[in-house]
Amino acid sequence: MLEILIHGAVSSAIYAMLAVGFTLIFGVARVLNLAHGSFYALGAYGAYYFTSHFHMPLLPAALLAIGLVALFGVFVEKVLVRPMRRSQLAVLMITLAVALVVEQALFLTFGSEYRNVPEFVSRKFTIGGVDVGGQRLLALAVSVILIGLLWIFIQRTRLGSAILAVSQDPEAASYMGIPSDRIFSIVMALSAALAAAAGVLAGPFLTVQPTMWLLPIVKAFAIVIVGGLGSIPGSILAALMLGYAETIVGYTISTSWTEIVSVAATLLMLVFRPAGMFGKRAAF
Amino acid sequence: MFGKRIDFVGAVVFVAFMAALPLIFGGNYLIGVLTVSVIYGIWAVSWDFMSGLTGRENFGHSLFIGVGAYTAGFLNTKFGLNGWWSLPASMIVATVFALIIGVPTLRLRGPYFALAMLSGAVIMQRLMLIFWEQTGGEEGINGIEPLIRSQLGFYYFALATLVATTALLLALARSHWGLILRAIRGDEATCQAAGINVTYYKIASLVISAAFAGAGGALYAHYQLQVSPQLFAIVTSITIITMVYVGGMASIYGPVGGAILLLLLTELLRDFGEWRLMVYSCTLILILFFLPNGLIAPTWRRMKTLLAGPK
Amino acid sequence: MSTLLEVSGLNKHFGGLHAVNDVTFSIASGEIVGVLGPNGAGKTTLYNLLTGFIPADSGSVIFNGHKLRGLAPYRIAGLGISRTFQLCRPFVGMTVLENVVVGGLGAHGRDRAGLDAHAQALLGQVGLGGKEQVAVETLSYGDQRRLEIARALAARPALLLLDEPFAGLGSGEISDLSALIRRVHAEQGLTVMLIEHKLHEFMRLVERVIALDFGAVIAAGTPEDIVRHPAVIEAYIGRGDELADEHACAA
Repeated sequence: MLEILIHGAVSSAIYAMLAVGFTLIFGVARVLNLAHGSFYALGAYGAYYFTSHFHMPLLPAALLAIGLVALFGVFVEKVLVRPMRRSQLAVLMITLAVALVVEQALFLTFGSEYRNVPEFVSRKFTIGGVDVGGQRLLALAVSVILIGLLWIFIQRTRLGSAILAVSQDPEAASYMGIPSDRIFSIVMALSAALAAAAGVLAGPFLTVQPTMWLLPIVKAFAIVIVGGLGSIPGSILAALMLGYAETIVGYTISTSWTEIVSVAATLLMLVFRPAGMFGKRAAF
Repeated sequence: MFGKRIDFVGAVVFVAFMAALPLIFGGNYLIGVLTVSVIYGIWAVSWDFMSGLTGRENFGHSLFIGVGAYTAGFLNTKFGLNGWWSLPASMIVATVFALIIGVPTLRLRGPYFALAMLSGAVIMQRLMLIFWEQTGGEEGINGIEPLIRSQLGFYYFALATLVATTALLLALARSHWGLILRAIRGDEATCQAAGINVTYYKIASLVISAAFAGAGGALYAHYQLQVSPQLFAIVTSITIITMVYVGGMASIYGPVGGAILLLLLTELLRDFGEWRLMVYSCTLILILFFLPNGLIAPTWRRMKTLLAGPK
Repeated sequence: MSTLLEVSGLNKHFGGLHAVNDVTFSIASGEIVGVLGPNGAGKTTLYNLLTGFIPADSGSVIFNGHKLRGLAPYRIAGLGISRTFQLCRPFVGMTVLENVVVGGLGAHGRDRAGLDAHAQALLGQVGLGGKEQVAVETLSYGDQRRLEIARALAARPALLLLDEPFAGLGSGEISDLSALIRRVHAEQGLTVMLIEHKLHEFMRLVERVIALDFGAVIAAGTPEDIVRHPAVIEAYIGRGDELADEHACAA
């Protein structure tokens, strides 16, 4: 029971980090970024590469990886996505193409075998008789902190309120002199950094290989459908639901069935409440 | 009238050329490449019929291809059914999948359909691995019987299927059906105001598209004589979309040319080995930026005006 | 004259906003009725409720003996209500003729030759003869407006709902278009409902006016009565809203 509680919380936290960034860039720029999973993969590979090839200590390596991925996110938004923004189809195509280019680049550089991202914390903790890896607890704690910081940033700072304004009404925001293009870049950087952080934190206990971007994108999609596209609280709650649902299914039935949970959730949601649990257009 | 006649002549010349190629150059290797390119042609045309015309992009065409191929594999190896049953059966199974994904998502506007197709394909690929006892896991299903013993015979059958598919979908696209699908691409609300049941047409066109993709999958299974989870891969869908973009979206015939051109090009790029997919993805990005209307269909249209000459 | 459309107690809320508030009115066969009201009065929402694009919260709409509430937009269109949109929404990527043919496909599908001929005739009527094969994106704004109307007429409706048909047009174009509306009204016995801000032309065209403000009907009557009605004057002047408000249409 406690085991389910703890492990469910860990996977929910990772999912939330992925989904919040995915929904953020959609809410603000109406960009459905299929390259979002690539940021996650690049974060994990970055931490691996800087530690194993340059023998950097883990913390600077992780921060460097996250920073570079954020820059890459800005590049993707500015150079590739922005000229295509007229057409949602073209945006989907271009971000999917980016995801494939990243996958191939990782494959050509590192091959298809699994890579090991070093752990920040390698010792195990015992909580109420349940053994939990320290890295998992760290992932949980850091993701709660990061999402909390993001929330404060959006609610409490000038830049945050500009982001909020653009997401609610881009036209009105541009009348008020908010440079929406810059906002898009900033949001893309944030979203990419969050995904990369998820990759760095989850890398040690998940499989790191070039195709690792795909499943997270599917999960993120399921989460934002359940939580409502564009809603941050919605996606956090949906991440909790999906994380726990998967953990429970994994413990009680079989881990093979966990993959079905997200698909079933997505389809049921689309059939019964396509606007998500919290109704339409929840602006953050 | 002249335009139609010249289209027909063009089509005949093209089919004759494709039919003659293996006779002129011979060799099983070439026949193999041509067979695969013709099957990709079926997939590209069927993708274009739904997504090209209505503008609702399907990122998981490989889902229909995969379930079609696995249907063929199951029926043929597990139930010992004659290979010719594969074609209708795979069309039916693909249709069922099209309904499962299409009915909930195509009612909605927004990116739901595109994402649901992508997720559907990813999940099916995972399921093939998870239920490895039934599906053969990574290895897939082996020992599928060929439909036609002679390689050349099978190539001609595949070519005939491509011609029939293209002719049928082209005829549909040029009827009031195609007009409605293109109007849906233009503006859904106006379509509804004109009394058109937009959801019905979108779902019906997805079903048609899926059925042909599934049949293509069955053909592919009976050509490779095995199926594997790799069939569901996103890469397959992207390859097909790239072919359609190169051929010219919404032209139906263009993607045939796109498929054959890209596959032959891929064979030339064989030396690139592992770089092939990279080349594909980059090609797609370049086309999106510099050739949004594609290559094949616009070229053909220009040739037609040249051939028609000054009035 | 028989009643064609009967609306009673129609309500719609958007969050805290009561966009359409207990609206009741009826329209007789063959009338031209105008809907007047300042920006945000709920005129377009009313159209969207009538045509099924937005579900109503309560109330009833009866058209020709059919209950419309709960029907999908395409079904309502099929029963004989055509509409235009405030912003022109032509089918891009298609020719002018194809645009009009699609307008008739839903209600009278299949007979392509008949539809083509009808569409051709309509294009002549609205003054777009000779532009059949032109790509719709290249049409001028005024021509797009005319095309909207031809497209709506292609379904051979019994009731035509026009949403600001004169918006963004020059005065010459406006009088052409209103002559056209009057002609189809006279020739085909078409019933027309019309939202408009261009008061001058509007008042000459319509036989009866329904004035809305804050989603509710504040007055109804002949054009002459309406312009003198205190509630209508209050609604406009009280909010400093231009009577002849111009709406740009970025097509």
